[in-house]
Amino acid sequence: MTLEAEVQSLRQVPMFKEIDPARLKLLAFTSERVQFAGGQRFFSQGDHSDAAYVILEGRAHVLLNTPGGEIQVAELGGNALVGEMGILSDTPRSATIMATEPTTALRIDKRVFLELLAQFPQMSLAVMRELAQRLERTNAQLVAQSSS
Amino acid sequence: MDKSLFRYIWKHSRRDQLFVCAIVLISQPFYFMSLDLPRQIVNQAIQGEAFMQGNLTAPFLRIGFDLPEWLGGGSVRIFEGFELGRVGLLLGLSCLFLAFVVINGLFKYWINVSKGVLGERMLRRMRFDLFAMVLRFTPDALRNVKSSETATIIKDEVEPIGGFIGDAFITPIFLGMQATTALFFIMVQNIWLGLMALAVIAVQFTIIPRLRRELLRLGKQRQLASRQFAGRIAEVLDGVEVVHVHNAADWEKAEIGHRLYKLFDIRLRIYNRKFIVKFINNFLAQLTPFFFYAIGGYFALRGTLNIGQLVAVINAYRELPPPLKELIDWDQQRLDVQVKYDQVTQHFAEERLAPLAAAREAAEDKDRPLTGPLVGDDIRVSDSHGGMILEGASFSIDLPARVAVISNGGAAASTLARIVARRQQGFGGQVRIGDRDLMRLPASVVGRRIAYAGIDPILFPGSIRDNLIYGLRSKPLGRTEEDQREAERRIREALRTGNPIENIADQWIDYERVGARDEQDLDRILVDLLNRIGMSEEIYLFGLAARIDPDRYPALAERLVEARQRLHETFQSNDMADLVEPFDAERYNDQATIAENLLFGVPVAEEFMGRNLAQNTQFRSAIDRAKLTDDLVRMGLQIAETMTEIFEGLPPGHSLFEQFSFIGADELTDFQVILRRHAKENGDLRREDRIRLLSLPLAYIEARHRLALLDDELKSRLVEARRIVRATLDKTGTAGVEFYDPDRICAAAPLRDNLLFGRVSYRVANARARVAEAMAAVIHDLGLLEDVKRLGLDHQVGTAGRLLSARERASVNLVRCLVKKPDFLVIDGALAPFDEARSQQMTELLLELFRQQSLFMVLPNDRQAGPFDVQMRFRDGQIITDKAAKPASQANRPDTQAARPIAGEVA
Repeated sequence: MTLEAEVQSLRQVPMFKEIDPARLKLLAFTSERVQFAGGQRFFSQGDHSDAAYVILEGRAHVLLNTPGGEIQVAELGGNALVGEMGILSDTPRSATIMATEPTTALRIDKRVFLELLAQFPQMSLAVMRELAQRLERTNAQLVAQSSS
Repeated sequence: MDKSLFRYIWKHSRRDQLFVCAIVLISQPFYFMSLDLPRQIVNQAIQGEAFMQGNLTAPFLRIGFDLPEWLGGGSVRIFEGFELGRVGLLLGLSCLFLAFVVINGLFKYWINVSKGVLGERMLRRMRFDLFAMVLRFTPDALRNVKSSETATIIKDEVEPIGGFIGDAFITPIFLGMQATTALFFIMVQNIWLGLMALAVIAVQFTIIPRLRRELLRLGKQRQLASRQFAGRIAEVLDGVEVVHVHNAADWEKAEIGHRLYKLFDIRLRIYNRKFIVKFINNFLAQLTPFFFYAIGGYFALRGTLNIGQLVAVINAYRELPPPLKELIDWDQQRLDVQVKYDQVTQHFAEERLAPLAAAREAAEDKDRPLTGPLVGDDIRVSDSHGGMILEGASFSIDLPARVAVISNGGAAASTLARIVARRQQGFGGQVRIGDRDLMRLPASVVGRRIAYAGIDPILFPGSIRDNLIYGLRSKPLGRTEEDQREAERRIREALRTGNPIENIADQWIDYERVGARDEQDLDRILVDLLNRIGMSEEIYLFGLAARIDPDRYPALAERLVEARQRLHETFQSNDMADLVEPFDAERYNDQATIAENLLFGVPVAEEFMGRNLAQNTQFRSAIDRAKLTDDLVRMGLQIAETMTEIFEGLPPGHSLFEQFSFIGADELTDFQVILRRHAKENGDLRREDRIRLLSLPLAYIEARHRLALLDDELKSRLVEARRIVRATLDKTGTAGVEFYDPDRICAAAPLRDNLLFGRVSYRVANARARVAEAMAAVIHDLGLLEDVKRLGLDHQVGTAGRLLSARERASVNLVRCLVKKPDFLVIDGALAPFDEARSQQMTELLLELFRQQSLFMVLPNDRQAGPFDVQMRFRDGQIITDKAAKPASQANRPDTQAARPIAGEVA
């Protein structure tokens, strides 16, 4: 897999889909491609947030700590973006991500990501738009829940 | 130093000066003879005066003299000489002339060398004296003295003085005698011509020095201005951060510009003056030959002066102006140098220096431990505004004791700490230890038995070890083997110039004092102290980054190879094999750069490092032969294209550029031009473009940069090229690269790389941390931890310790105090860089270490004062001493003994 292929993957991520190809290439170039073995954790709940990941190949589980132990709340597949909230809000990890099989991911360093956002307004806008849409969806879900 | 330069020179180099003078005197008859010979050649041999009375032969080399009338006249012959014919006499006299030329030349050679050596010896003495005075500057003087100005004085300003010293007495004598001889010779030939020359000289000697007085004044100005200029540059450099913070760069530039203008202006005035004086001087010098030609010629025409005489006079006069001119120059130089000397002695004025006597009485005082009652009596210190910091304060503590000096927010605690550490000079009252006055303790005892760690840890450039053992080097204890003759020469020179005779290569480190057997044992103690003070991790990491010299540590090098194999076994057996890609002579390493893959080693010479490699002709010829150049240039083009595409729009100097780009921001446009040219000229590239493009892929790492530039075929060709590169470098005998060898240590690579012997994978998540863990485990298992840390002691601290963090500096400062095992450690703000938890830990450690010696620690409040034996507080300039009722460490102590000194119990 090459830089070009990674750019294609990034393009599938909703948050990045409207960003210039050259900027996506910069984002990919400044990221690291890392492999996780099955069962290896990307990070654990409560860890310091230092990076976001885009899953290129493989699958991972989202786990939450509960008094009864860890429970799986979601499964992530190709082109999923994880950990971006932590680096944007500068809060500790809210969940654990664990690879369920050998998984390749693009590790986007927090500092680099924030610098890119600071440098290119277009990227910031794309991120804001995505966040706004998520908020809207959440609102819609809340409305749906309360009305049901 | 003496007020007068001449007295200083005379005092220290009298013997040498006189000896050289004597040689100068001896040389004079020869000089006179060489002047006289041309006349003899012309008159006797060519014109044939010696053969006047029909003699066919004339005596040659007849040595003798005529006795004066009152001794009965007649003449004494020492040597009858040879009877020679006319041609024989001519050749004989000419050869004699040549011989005198050689003899005179040799005299000059010897005199010049002796003068030079004499000057250099005096310069050495003077510089050393000045440096010795630097160490004696009083605290008051130090507030005003600028270090850079002092350095300029010792290095630059005394240099011309040194050059002059060799000439101080000899030149006037030598030149004076030459001039007198020439003048005397002219006088002998013709009294009137001689008087004429004398008259012109007299005029020269009165006018020129007068004209030069202004020059001296200007010279003085320029010297001061240049000294301040040097000082200012150093100030700006030291405070460059403030300059940037307050955007004062323009102001500073203007300031320096103004100084440069002033320097220029002074120099311009000097030039104007100097060259007009020179003009007058030259004119006067040429006035004499004018008279000779005009008047001497007239006499010759009239027949009162024979031609031979005139030629000889003019010849002699040719010899006269240079010595005269030099004599006048010497006089100028003398005044000049005297001015410089005055300026230098002013800088080191007596009132700025501490008295010399203190060091002298050192020998008398026995070096006894500093125990017994420490009594302060009526101590008075005032601050710079006249307010009293301590006002008749008194205290009494039995040593050894651990004393908390609790600050009241003012300067009192720190001041008292400085007094007890003998860092403060100006105070009233008395401090006594036992029966001795603290202020009268010799410096050697103070340095050995008292340690002081202030808020500002001063480190010298060098390794951490050098800094730690700085306090153990008070005098040489053992002699190293030294070439006997070289040693004698060194010591003789030192004695002649008032320099110390100790050899810097001798064994200065006092192992015994710290209880160490040898160097290794001392290292162990240092590492142990660093561990305890909490610098264990840092020292370990410094050690991993250190380079190991296999010749110096052959045993360790061997063990490291063993550790390397062990580490690989660990990786294999723990399913970590994919974390590190080992160096393999037969395989391409995806985690390493193309340059590293091609060299298969670590560059040691600058020309093989980084991008320089592309410029290196040997390397280029090797990859040419491997037919890789075109491929690499093509890769360079691809990299340049990608970089220009993705980094466009980032402002220059953006951190992402430095961190990720192959191309610096300032080169981006250059490469864009190359790319455009390439597109336009259908793939043809200029030679220099090819070299620049070639440099790009050298830093390319496939696994990290992922531009898909390498396929298996290319990789195998790169591996193939390794051999060619190595063969080329071996053939030319360039030791620019140290090649990898699995069974040997690579001295050019850091210890960490040597252990890994490979590169950590970029592809595996969290690989670096896991590898570091495994490495630490292997180092620990093989018992190499201490060796690694010892290597860490070699870590360079940089100028003023700037390569270390503030905490590391503070730690090194503390360990430097601890390692010399003082009777008495004063801590005054040395823990400031640490947070409260760390400083608490360190305080506990210090209390623990100083159970048997005394600790004086300034504390900001009494929160940590509990465990100390004695607590000192300050109120209204008075000191209140509380002896701890129950030291935390000795809870079983009966309360009734609270008031008793703790000394007996702890000691």
